[in-house]
Amino acid sequence: MTPRRTNPLSPLIQAAPALPAAAVFLLGPGAGMISRGGATVIALAIGGAIIGYAAFVGIASLLWWRRTYWIDDDGDLRLDSGLIQRSARRLQLSRLQSVDVVAPFLARLVGLVEVRVEVAGTGDSRIVLRYLTRADAEALRTRVLVASRQADPLEPDAHSPADPLALVPPGRLMASLLLRSVTAALLVVTAALLVMTIATQGPAGLILVVVTGGLPILSVASEFLANYGFRVDRTPQGLRIRRGLLSTQTRTIPPDRVHAIAIVSPLLWRRWDWVRVTLTIAGVEADQARPDVLIPVAPREEALRLIGEVLPGLDIDALPFESAPPRARWRAPWSWRFLACAITPEVIAARSGRITRTVSIALHAHVQSVRVTQGPWERRLSLASLHADTAPGPVTVVARHLALDEVDDLAAREVEQMRRARLTPWR
Amino acid sequence: MAQSADPFAAPTQTGWVPVSPRLATARRITLLLEYLLVVAGGVGIAISPLGTGWLLAYVIVAVIALVWIWWIIGRRVRSFGYAERDDDLLVVSGILVRRLVIVPYGRMQMVDLTAGPIDRWLGISTVQLHTAAATTDATIPGLLPDEAAALRDRLAARGEQRNAGL
Repeated sequence: MTPRRTNPLSPLIQAAPALPAAAVFLLGPGAGMISRGGATVIALAIGGAIIGYAAFVGIASLLWWRRTYWIDDDGDLRLDSGLIQRSARRLQLSRLQSVDVVAPFLARLVGLVEVRVEVAGTGDSRIVLRYLTRADAEALRTRVLVASRQADPLEPDAHSPADPLALVPPGRLMASLLLRSVTAALLVVTAALLVMTIATQGPAGLILVVVTGGLPILSVASEFLANYGFRVDRTPQGLRIRRGLLSTQTRTIPPDRVHAIAIVSPLLWRRWDWVRVTLTIAGVEADQARPDVLIPVAPREEALRLIGEVLPGLDIDALPFESAPPRARWRAPWSWRFLACAITPEVIAARSGRITRTVSIALHAHVQSVRVTQGPWERRLSLASLHADTAPGPVTVVARHLALDEVDDLAAREVEQMRRARLTPWR
Repeated sequence: MAQSADPFAAPTQTGWVPVSPRLATARRITLLLEYLLVVAGGVGIAISPLGTGWLLAYVIVAVIALVWIWWIIGRRVRSFGYAERDDDLLVVSGILVRRLVIVPYGRMQMVDLTAGPIDRWLGISTVQLHTAAATTDATIPGLLPDEAAALRDRLAARGEQRNAGL
């Protein structure tokens, strides 16, 4: 394959997000003059931004355009870049994990796409080519696949882009974020405050509006950007998750490292039967802000199918839940009907919550210890709570306010299952 | 009341092994040291222009709190107990909120033996079990040194045995 260059328009697209920032930057010092100079200063600032941008793009284009890629005779994908400081990278395609053609928003506007080639390995084991025409991209993808197969004919279809197991449409993602219990409540409060402010013509409420309206908008926006285009694929290494609008994150979930899962359904989602599924994965430092998510929002059926991919044979609808006794209503008046615990030969599960319902499930083989706690109220009512401790992660398995003698029985059974599960691991 | 099956009841084979009453002494010494601050507060009131009425009220509250905490420490220390079963270790504690932890020997990652300055002076130490879960709270304070060391060694040996089969 002869070396080819990336598209000369690439720097233009990559620098585009900086354009508004440049304008603001130039406007800043001129702000004081605007009152006097008026339109002239604004025009100068915008003009300056455009000139600066053009200059930057011109220089960057020279550098970028020198990016060339080709596949050499050894079946390696190579990328040379840099005008002043040259760099060369090479990926061994026999270890190919994925090759993707992605169309980011701005690139799509001018008909260009991005190609991402990833090989198995730690660290920086991928090449991202920005940007190619669609035809070039498809040609490269085919060549990469051919090269990888020549080297490894045993795994012909591992890299073919099969249909994804799950996709989250942007509309549903946005709706689900707006309908999260806390977000929805804050938005309602904001609307009420706005109505009151307008009705009384007093500005007092406006400061509150910034907080009650600003926080949910920020959180919705950041979650939306992070989970935009959420897609789950099956790969030989496990489920592969991709997400993100401005920056794409990819991660593979090895099924044998999943310690616990939680199925979460906020109040306002239940109308559409949507759920969110989070995971505790061993050995991975979970990002506190963005816990490990198997799917941010999906109809229950689809979510259960995905869980089936991670934990085959687990039938969540058939878990033998034992509920909290009616006297638990004195301790948990809202949620007592939903509180329950189940133990099967593979897992321990706990149900909790009223506004946001959660089913947490931990694998016996990965439960580290069992705890029983009993607060003063529980003691009066002869209730207790059962905790199954797992590795740190977003999932906590706690069966609250069950009958004391039942907790005794459940704890004994869980300990027995933990012992047995260590001897015979899942599958 | 269905008292037939209580998870906090002592295991039939062994019963709860209590911890040393010296733990109460250690905690009471710590309490007295902390009370130096309270005394300083009292001195502050005494030399301030506030009347003796205030000082009297302060002293009464401080003394009642001291007696109450003193008594609670005794009860808390007596609430601690542990039991070594064939496959797991049980630790029970707490009076207002009761806690029971069951750690199978196979899940133990590490056994810690610690003793602070007051503990060392009184001749007690603390054994703590760690698993891969941060929430596992299996701490046995107030063990006599020989007992603590022997317990640690037994636990470590059992952990290795259980893990060997993997």
